[in-house]
Amino acid sequence: MATTEQPERRALGDRLYDVAFHNRVWRSVFRSGYPNTPRNQMLVVATNVFLHLHPTRIHRTHVKITHTFCLGGLSFFLFLGLTISGVLLMFYYVPSIDRAYTDILALENNVRFGLLMRNMHRWMAHGMVLTVLMHMMRVFYTGAYKPPREFNWVVGVVLLVLTLLLSFTGYLLPWDQLAIWAITVGTNMVGSAPILGEPNRFVLVGGFQVGQSALIRFYTLHVIGLPLLAAVFMTVHFWRIRRDGGLARPL
Amino acid sequence: MAVAPSVPPEPVSQAVRGRQRRQREEELLVWPDLVFVEFISAVVFTISMLILSVMVNSILLDQANPNLTPNPSKAPWYFLNLQELLLHMHPALAGVIVPTIALIALGAIPYYDNSNEGQGEWFATARSKALTVVGAVVGSVGSLLLILFDASKHVQIYESLTGSVWPAQLNFLRSLRAIQTEIAWPDSWTKVPLGSKVLRTDLIGLPTIDLNVNLPGVLVEQIIPTSTMIGLPILLSIVAWRARLARSRRDHMILMFSGFIAVYVTLTIVGTFFRGAGQNLVPYSIFIDAEH
Ligand code: HEM
Repeated sequence: MATTEQPERRALGDRLYDVAFHNRVWRSVFRSGYPNTPRNQMLVVATNVFLHLHPTRIHRTHVKITHTFCLGGLSFFLFLGLTISGVLLMFYYVPSIDRAYTDILALENNVRFGLLMRNMHRWMAHGMVLTVLMHMMRVFYTGAYKPPREFNWVVGVVLLVLTLLLSFTGYLLPWDQLAIWAITVGTNMVGSAPILGEPNRFVLVGGFQVGQSALIRFYTLHVIGLPLLAAVFMTVHFWRIRRDGGLARPL
Repeated sequence: MAVAPSVPPEPVSQAVRGRQRRQREEELLVWPDLVFVEFISAVVFTISMLILSVMVNSILLDQANPNLTPNPSKAPWYFLNLQELLLHMHPALAGVIVPTIALIALGAIPYYDNSNEGQGEWFATARSKALTVVGAVVGSVGSLLLILFDASKHVQIYESLTGSVWPAQLNFLRSLRAIQTEIAWPDSWTKVPLGSKVLRTDLIGLPTIDLNVNLPGVLVEQIIPTSTMIGLPILLSIVAWRARLARSRRDHMILMFSGFIAVYVTLTIVGTFFRGAGQNLVPYSIFIDAEH
């Protein structure tokens, strides 16, 4: 272990780590050593693409749970969880008005853990709307939207809209009475706009009433269009947090 | 590992070095301090979601039937605030114009309040907590009173308190719509001719349309709601300013944002739990529906 720093006194864990992972395969994946010295701890964050979302050091107050209540992080975490449970749901669901409802019934009754999967997806979706709204309130009341973070607040507003649209498009998919009428009420609101309302509603629903064209449009938006957009805006959001000098601090 | 020889650093003053050192001492390493917090919060959240999902099932009603409209039909809960607005004003206003303007206003906050005042700390400015409470109370109580008024609750209260019926000459104050229906508006008001020159349908080869405007309808559906939604927040701002409660832009933003959130929450709760069949103001639960 010539290239990595070693702690002055090696504990049992360090020795075991050496025995287990001092080989070429492990070291081809993780280049820094076990994070047991400040230098290795920073290297672990700086050399890992996922951890590299973070800076290597962070101000004391931002680690306190009561500063962020982890709300932005939880929104992102829910987005990931929704992606995973959503992919699992896609295995069993066909977006056709003849099959959608029975697919959901079959998922609930015949698929092992199917009901649990659907419940997780649904509660996480409601949860994400809540955490995003609360995250916005946390950012507001900590005055974290102020320069140079104005633009990131705007990116946040876009993310809020995308979150609502993701949830709204998913609402139609079970194709039950709750779904179709909620989407009918919602899309009729769009239709009431002056001049452009009705054409917009028509494009969204793909017809005069919520039917097969609406289902396939909402499905496509829900499983690929909107998640991709949200991922792009989240990338910008996180990038900007780093560019704007980390979380806001009193001057 | 060979370290590339670096350019010798510029001489740094003693004071700058002191500040840098102090800043470093205020900092923690992301691994382990932050990563640990994130990990724990992710685990706790996953477990609570799992428990919730085991205990409470998602709703699944009967298969969709385009010919059978349930009563009430409701949008998803986070849009019920807009559906609530729909009951009190023109649909274009409630469904599109208000949410669009609200989102633009939300995005514009940092461009209006661009000072550094109160940055990076919870409720950092003086009076910020008071402003939050005032905004939240005025927003929720105000919107609740307006909803009760439009449901003619003041008439019911008057009648049950006095034992007599609501005076006929005040019938136009029964609700917002009553201003249109309970006043004998002359025809010259309810049918203001704009002629066929406004909508030039003849230009695209369609029959001409004689457009008439129903002024009392415009008053009730558009003018009164718009002036209420713009006027009351401005009034609140002015009062808070005169009372020396709100002085800076940050103060006014706290007041407005808190009021907005309170109205949003109030309308959502009313729309979710207190709108039943025919959108009447009665207690309602979606789960009762789900059981049949
Ligand atoms: C899908 C939605 C969103 C995700 C995943 C997300 C994620 C995050 C994360 C992880 C942070 C780091 C700090 C923290 O956890 O609080 C953050 C900060 C921030 N977010 Fe969001 N966010 C979302 C929506 C929003 C919304 C709706 C707004 C505002 C309208 C917003 C504005 C900001 C701002 C200004 C910061 C910097 C805060 C500071 O410097 O203290 N974000 N966001």
